[in-house]
Amino acid sequence: MTTTRRLLTTCAATVLALGLAACGGAAAPPAATAPASSAAAAEPTDSDDDTATDDDTATDDDTAAAGSKVSANTASEDEIAEALDSAGVSNADRWAEEVVEYRPYPSEDANLTKLRDNLAKYNPGQETTDKIVSALTP
Amino acid sequence: MRHPFPPNGTNVVVLVRRGLVALTAIGVLATAFELATERHWNGIEQLVPWIALAVLAVALALLLVPGGRGVPAARLLAVLVLGAATYGVVDHVLVNYESGALDQRYSESWETLPTVQQWWLAVTKTVGPAPTLAPGVLGQSALLLVLASVGSTRRREVEPVQR
Repeated sequence: MTTTRRLLTTCAATVLALGLAACGGAAAPPAATAPASSAAAAEPTDSDDDTATDDDTATDDDTAAAGSKVSANTASEDEIAEALDSAGVSNADRWAEEVVEYRPYPSEDANLTKLRDNLAKYNPGQETTDKIVSALTP
Repeated sequence: MRHPFPPNGTNVVVLVRRGLVALTAIGVLATAFELATERHWNGIEQLVPWIALAVLAVALALLLVPGGRGVPAARLLAVLVLGAATYGVVDHVLVNYESGALDQRYSESWETLPTVQQWWLAVTKTVGPAPTLAPGVLGQSALLLVLASVGSTRRREVEPVQR
């Protein structure tokens, strides 16, 4: 019985330690993506679009003018790809795939924070993220 | 010493086997926790590790069936999980590879990079969102289960630690 108790105690301690470690691991990705965002802000690379400006609001306006917004929740992947392409996003098909993958998006979040968080894993840069979001509504 | 280790009369083989079973169980629980925190359920493909975890849990239960009657089935299921884990590692590398052109640092140059460098960037997760070796923990747990089953036969049940 003593040995069994020791085993149970050891197992319980290990599970607790793994749980804490897992919590730490889960917190790591956002920290890892932070430098990428900083790099994106410091060195934008998607500057081939003539309509792009330094002002996010202006970018949104330009995109809205270029094409109508589509719903990130209900539009088909092709429709999203078309909207992204109109907004000047390169690899529009691939990004549309990601938009569909991370559904659903909260309808009250016009800034599509959930989508932004998930896209950040790919290190697309702030400008590309803004272009993608500007072509979409929840 | 009043409390020698292992205690007098302890069957070391049984003790090790129980330790391996416990490590397998811990691996299953920890992996489930990690998958949940990563919200690893976007699409059917991301459900594969959850299915593999369920299979591994069943294998674990089979291993504990008295009389060792479930050992062959447990081993078979563990091998399946091992295959799923291998698939997971390969899939994560592929996801990273396909994400190379989306990374702002390589969006302009990805297509011109040497193939070896593209794959290296994907394997090391320099590009892409998927932790390359993370699915390997499933394979490790499956291997622990297989090791725990070594020496088990139909007639030899999991014996008590102290006779």
